[in-house]
Amino acid sequence: MGFKFDYLLSILPRLIGAAAVNVRLAVIIMLLALAFGTALTILRSRKIAAVNACIAIVISFVRGTPLLIQIFIAYYVLPAVGLDLSPEVAGISAIAFNSMVFVSESMRGGLATVDAGQIEASTALGLPPRAIWLKVVLPQLFRRIVPVLINEATIVVKGTALLSVITVVDVLRTSQQIASSSYRPFETMIGAALVFLVINLVISLSGRVAEARFAAARA
Amino acid sequence: MKFDPAVLVDYWPLLLQGAWLTIQVSAAAMLIGYVAGIVVALIALVPGWLPRLVTGLYVETLRNIPFIIIVFVVYYGLPFWGIRLPATLVGTVALALFASAYYAEIVRAAILALPRGQFESARAIGMSPASAMWHVVAPQILRTLVPPSTNMTLTMMKESAVLSSITVPELTYQSLVVQGNTFAPFEVFAAVASIYWLIAAVIAEASRRLERRVGAVQAEAVSRNRIADRYLSLVARKN
Repeated sequence: MGFKFDYLLSILPRLIGAAAVNVRLAVIIMLLALAFGTALTILRSRKIAAVNACIAIVISFVRGTPLLIQIFIAYYVLPAVGLDLSPEVAGISAIAFNSMVFVSESMRGGLATVDAGQIEASTALGLPPRAIWLKVVLPQLFRRIVPVLINEATIVVKGTALLSVITVVDVLRTSQQIASSSYRPFETMIGAALVFLVINLVISLSGRVAEARFAAARA
Repeated sequence: MKFDPAVLVDYWPLLLQGAWLTIQVSAAAMLIGYVAGIVVALIALVPGWLPRLVTGLYVETLRNIPFIIIVFVVYYGLPFWGIRLPATLVGTVALALFASAYYAEIVRAAILALPRGQFESARAIGMSPASAMWHVVAPQILRTLVPPSTNMTLTMMKESAVLSSITVPELTYQSLVVQGNTFAPFEVFAAVASIYWLIAAVIAEASRRLERRVGAVQAEAVSRNRIADRYLSLVARKN
């Protein structure tokens, strides 16, 4: 049997429809990861020994275990402790938690590149810590980690495909449903791969445009 | 809800078998993936636009598709072309394919980062080609190669969990089996996460030693001053 391009074309509309689910979840996850990642970074900068020791263990756990296992923990273990989440919410929580750690870790790297003199100047001017974070440090930090955030966004999009294993009807699960009735799993999976390829290439390219804009704005 | 590790007592052999397969599959995929990655990197460095275009397509395609989709494409693709292999082998091939794209970029970057003329200079002062490669070029490439490579190996080991979806009986697959038999998700996933964490810690420690051995540059931020560190550093200053 040969590769059926017309079949591939015929299922693309359904796959693109399902891609809206992946994109929606990825956007929610990125927003949560950014907000909580920033909060976590500010908390870590307070350097409270006990708190930072706990955070270090959490970071090591998130970086040392597979995302799929973290998704299973949110899906199977949280209900057992009384938190009954829908598959979507469980999946969003797991990936956002994972991504939050990576955002905070890249912020740690970005902070080191902020000019120390600016903090001294802000402190000498008597700016309150809130203003130093919001007006001095964070705006520069976000610009600096744009490339990392773009990369993280593509990782998050790829991560949403894993949610099919906890019954979220995304591109992968939709293509599995299609394949089980058409008996053409190979073409169907190629279709799913193409959909993800296009989403992530669009993110990477728009990221490059954003970087160029920021670079121009600074010059 | 109580935590009762005793429910796992009959299942430890199963989990350890799974962990051993995770290690074996990851190690095999690392070796195959690295060799393939070096080949792709060397092709990418051939002058002309065609090699760069072909290798660029290879790398970008594999890096922008979720690994679970790559796994299914390989899983359904091999039989489509008439090749029938056991699931574990298919999984290893998919994992190696995935890793090769990242290794290729790492190797290419390391070669490009080497200052031009190192090899020629070594030859000019009378070193043999082999000696110039071994004593001058290799140590410098290794220094930039080791940290991202071990990092990628860690990522790949974690991605191997996805192979459970094509019934490769590795650690995650076994954890789902045990979960189905015991209905004790807390205990099962605590145990399995700990095993992954342990494997990751071993890889991290091995890579630290390897990095020290090859003299890799540690890019840890130097503490600058007390006032700035209140905002720009996340670690307490050691007095």
